[in-house]
Amino acid sequence: MRFSYQWLCELVEGTHPDPVELGRVITMKTAECEGVNVFAPHLARVAVARVLSVDPIAGTHNRKVDVDAGVYGRRTVVCGATNCRAGMTTIYVPPGTTLGVLAIETAEINGVRSDGMLASGQELGINRDHSGILDLDGQSFGLKPDWTIEIDNKSLTHRPDLWGHHGMAREVAAITGLKLLDPVQMNLIPARSEPSPIAVAIEDYTLCPRYSALLFENVTIQPSPLWLQYRLEAIGLNPINNIVDVTNYVMAELAQPMHAFDAEKLRGHTIYARPGQAGERVLALNGEWYDVGPFNVVIADDAGPIAIGGVIGGGESAIGEETTRIVLESANFQASSIRRTSSILKLRTDASMRFEKAQDPVNTLRGLARAVELLRLVSPGIRIVGGLADAWQPKPAPAPIRLPLDWLDRKLGRATPAAEARSILESLQFGVAEAGPGVFSVSVPTWRATKDVSMKDDLVEEVGRMIGYDTIAPQAPLVATTPPPANEERAFHHRVRETMVQQGFTEVYNYSFVSEDEIAVFGFDSADHLRLGNPIVADQQLMRSSLLPGILRNIRHNSKHLDAFRFFEIGREIHSSADGLPNEIPHLTAAIFTRETAGTQLFELKRVAECLVGDAAVEPVEGGSYEHPARAGVVRAGGRDIGRLFEFHPSLVEGGRAAVLDLDLRALESAQPNERRYKALRRYPASAFDLSVLAGARDLAGLIQARLAELAGSDLLSIEFLRQYEGSPLPEGKKSVSYRLTVADPGRTLSSDEVAAVRARIIEGMRGLGYELRV
Amino acid sequence: MLEQQIDGVRRRALERIQSAANADELEAARVEALGRKGFLSNASKEFGKLAPEERARAGKLLNEAKQAIETALEDRRARFDRDTLKAKLESEWIDLTLPAPGIRPGSLHPVTQVQTEIEELFISMGFTVLDGPEVETEYHNFDALNIPANHPARDTQDTFWLTNGLLLRTHTSPVQVRGMQKLGPPLRMIAPGRVFRNEEVDASHEHTFYQLEGMMIDRDVSVAHLIYFMMTLLSSIFRREVTVRLRPGFFPFVEPGFELDIQCLICGGPGCPVCKQSGWVELLPCGLVHPNVLRMSGIDPEEWNGFAFGLGLTRLAMMRYGIDDIRLLASGDLRFLNQF
Repeated sequence: MRFSYQWLCELVEGTHPDPVELGRVITMKTAECEGVNVFAPHLARVAVARVLSVDPIAGTHNRKVDVDAGVYGRRTVVCGATNCRAGMTTIYVPPGTTLGVLAIETAEINGVRSDGMLASGQELGINRDHSGILDLDGQSFGLKPDWTIEIDNKSLTHRPDLWGHHGMAREVAAITGLKLLDPVQMNLIPARSEPSPIAVAIEDYTLCPRYSALLFENVTIQPSPLWLQYRLEAIGLNPINNIVDVTNYVMAELAQPMHAFDAEKLRGHTIYARPGQAGERVLALNGEWYDVGPFNVVIADDAGPIAIGGVIGGGESAIGEETTRIVLESANFQASSIRRTSSILKLRTDASMRFEKAQDPVNTLRGLARAVELLRLVSPGIRIVGGLADAWQPKPAPAPIRLPLDWLDRKLGRATPAAEARSILESLQFGVAEAGPGVFSVSVPTWRATKDVSMKDDLVEEVGRMIGYDTIAPQAPLVATTPPPANEERAFHHRVRETMVQQGFTEVYNYSFVSEDEIAVFGFDSADHLRLGNPIVADQQLMRSSLLPGILRNIRHNSKHLDAFRFFEIGREIHSSADGLPNEIPHLTAAIFTRETAGTQLFELKRVAECLVGDAAVEPVEGGSYEHPARAGVVRAGGRDIGRLFEFHPSLVEGGRAAVLDLDLRALESAQPNERRYKALRRYPASAFDLSVLAGARDLAGLIQARLAELAGSDLLSIEFLRQYEGSPLPEGKKSVSYRLTVADPGRTLSSDEVAAVRARIIEGMRGLGYELRV
Repeated sequence: MLEQQIDGVRRRALERIQSAANADELEAARVEALGRKGFLSNASKEFGKLAPEERARAGKLLNEAKQAIETALEDRRARFDRDTLKAKLESEWIDLTLPAPGIRPGSLHPVTQVQTEIEELFISMGFTVLDGPEVETEYHNFDALNIPANHPARDTQDTFWLTNGLLLRTHTSPVQVRGMQKLGPPLRMIAPGRVFRNEEVDASHEHTFYQLEGMMIDRDVSVAHLIYFMMTLLSSIFRREVTVRLRPGFFPFVEPGFELDIQCLICGGPGCPVCKQSGWVELLPCGLVHPNVLRMSGIDPEEWNGFAFGLGLTRLAMMRYGIDDIRLLASGDLRFLNQF
């Protein structure tokens, strides 16, 4: 919402802060000011000029124009405007002035020295008229540079009253201690006793709480005076004609949207405010047709819809140059219905933006009263026909709010003297009475009561922002020293992160979205994925059910820059679930990329798995579609599957190989040993001996080790892999795997004969299982 | 006579020991002086010829000479050992400027680092850390936070909707609701996590970013308490006193609501592109918890109240490390991530 500094100043009596300071205090006390900008600074330099003579310049459309430019004296300019004629008054722009991006300098044009220029309304920033130079046509020209104060709309969401200058002026008055002026003269509304020529029928007072209207005759449609056009232009509204401009002016001043119908185009004498009917269509002012339905409020005459209530007027009943009688609507609509309508129709207007903030039904008459005054100015001779049409079922005023002052102090964390609290509330036009010792009874003005202020907590804000939050000193609370409940899962994730970093892995974050193409690479079924209804880009519309697509993307990206790298992500897999929220499963996915193909990356990742959980073991399996068929395995720990270790299928990764460890973090966490108990240190020495087993080249070492351990039985203290060997002199297809076994008895030293017996037992057992031993 | 010979031998032996250049020469000197066929052995055989009193004197002299020679031998030998060891160690020189082998630690994502610091700070102040789902219900994300359907505040949070009617949480605030329901009052909690907004991505906007929600519910929690925690939080993150300002801000789930701005750390106040020339950077929306929010989570607002805040973790990490393009954070580019 853009405010005009001049406009605000006009509504507050006294010495005003400068525009930048005003923007600052509004930010600190009311709503966020996003910028304060000078508007039309050139108006400080321009002068009213009378055109003395206009002479054609041969061979061009331009003309040599002599003007009497007031303080600038007699000047000659070259002007192409066809409306330039001797005797008219217009605006002269001297050299050295900048109009927007256009710098005006003395220049030689068509062989004539042009000393400045004559400007159009658009060039001057007064209106959008660029058909010729501005024709003052007898009007005085007192326009001065203005400042615009840009307020963030988000910070006005809860403040219907701040969608007009008068509301913001009220804040300025309260902040500065100056007096607020009211531009509205209610006595301009015809007396209640006077019958209205228009009947208003509201079908549903919830959707349309109030509809007020006046009929005017003897209307002249013409451009608004320049001061009015300039006001609208300064705040970004487009001047159109005197009637439309008045409705916009009142909206910008009082936050009351209004609409003018051409009375001749209305059929019948009744205006209906009712829910739309299925199949009804409305041609709007913007030339578009809209389908309306029971969720919309439709304004209709006897023949059908003439406007979408609170959103936009209708094209068929619009005023035009021939209009002589108008019905001026000033109504109130339910906020949620307007917002719904405007989002369903995808049509946001200045009116809908205001109504969806819950405007004050009391305001409709204020708007009309202000409009009467302005219409008399812009359309001389205009007359009100008959009395006021006004349908309204006033709701009882809400009960005053009890505000205990000690409670207020406890909420703010500082004491506010009663007199100060009262003066703040009264400056914002709340009614304050004593309800008892130290308790205020506060009545809320109607423009704050629609949604914004309804309870004492809301008053904390009113007092707090005006005393200034910077006057509240930070204070540590006094609370019980109970330890907070621990989040074991999160703590575990942090430990995993630390381990990964120590093992050389760098953490990445990937998006939660994947595309159909990406999951197709993995053979995932898109039907298993949750799907966005409104993705930003059409190809990122599935929720990831695996971290792998992101990891593969990372590998491909980084392998363009780096020869070897390792990284990990901790993130959530999102799996749809039949009922309730989806299953979000935290995963650790780590990858190592190198240019070599020997598979060492897999062993690095296996070691990492062991760093994460001591008893991690890998059971080889045949790789799936995106895995290397001969380099994949299930990771097990604590008696359960916790994830997978594999090399990406080499066809997916260019220029090297990438191995991946993908662990379910919940499974990994449950696989952690939960209790540690001390075991007495051994008092008797242990004995060690080595065994080499000759096995088939693809016999699993893990299995051989398990069998050796099993045969060693309770004597075994530890078994350690020494080496594996293939090649001469071993036969083709065979390998030798060597282990060192350490045996001991907890109660005594084993004799060499006993050790030899254990060894012999193992050898014999292995031979029984079909292995040869190289002894 | 004998005594003079002993003296002479002693002198000569000591000279040879001192001048011995290596272990062999030293051994030769020892054999000559102390060997079985050496002078001193022979001399003792001559003692029988001496008068008793002479014998005693010569014996004493002989012992002294032996001792002196042995001591000298010992010293010289020790010196040779030291020299040998020294030479050996000298030969073991290695070039310590060669690179050390082995893997180097990787690094945590910058957002993780900032997040972990804040978690630790709040845990130390008695807050628990909660997690909530990334896919949320409309109720938890909006309604229970006093943002009913058709509330204009919904416009400020462009929402990703799933085809099944659920949504991607637009803020971490739904964890407030889950926290209140799970823990009940009094409570102190924070909830860091990933949030989503349906926004076009550019250097300063992302559809995926991180927030950290905080909430305290107790009796008589005040704005002064809120300011205390916010100041503690910010000076801890930036490791210096920061200048802040608290101004009104509207969020339906708090009343009163605030925006907490910090003075721009880049320009220090006069204005720069980072703070859009304002000198201030909006960082922390916060406020006292709206009574409706308490009520909807089954907490009596007459008995309990509290504050809540939502910290933009992503923006904070960007400020901390001077990151000027938000897209880098989810790029997975290790040339970027390895810098942290």
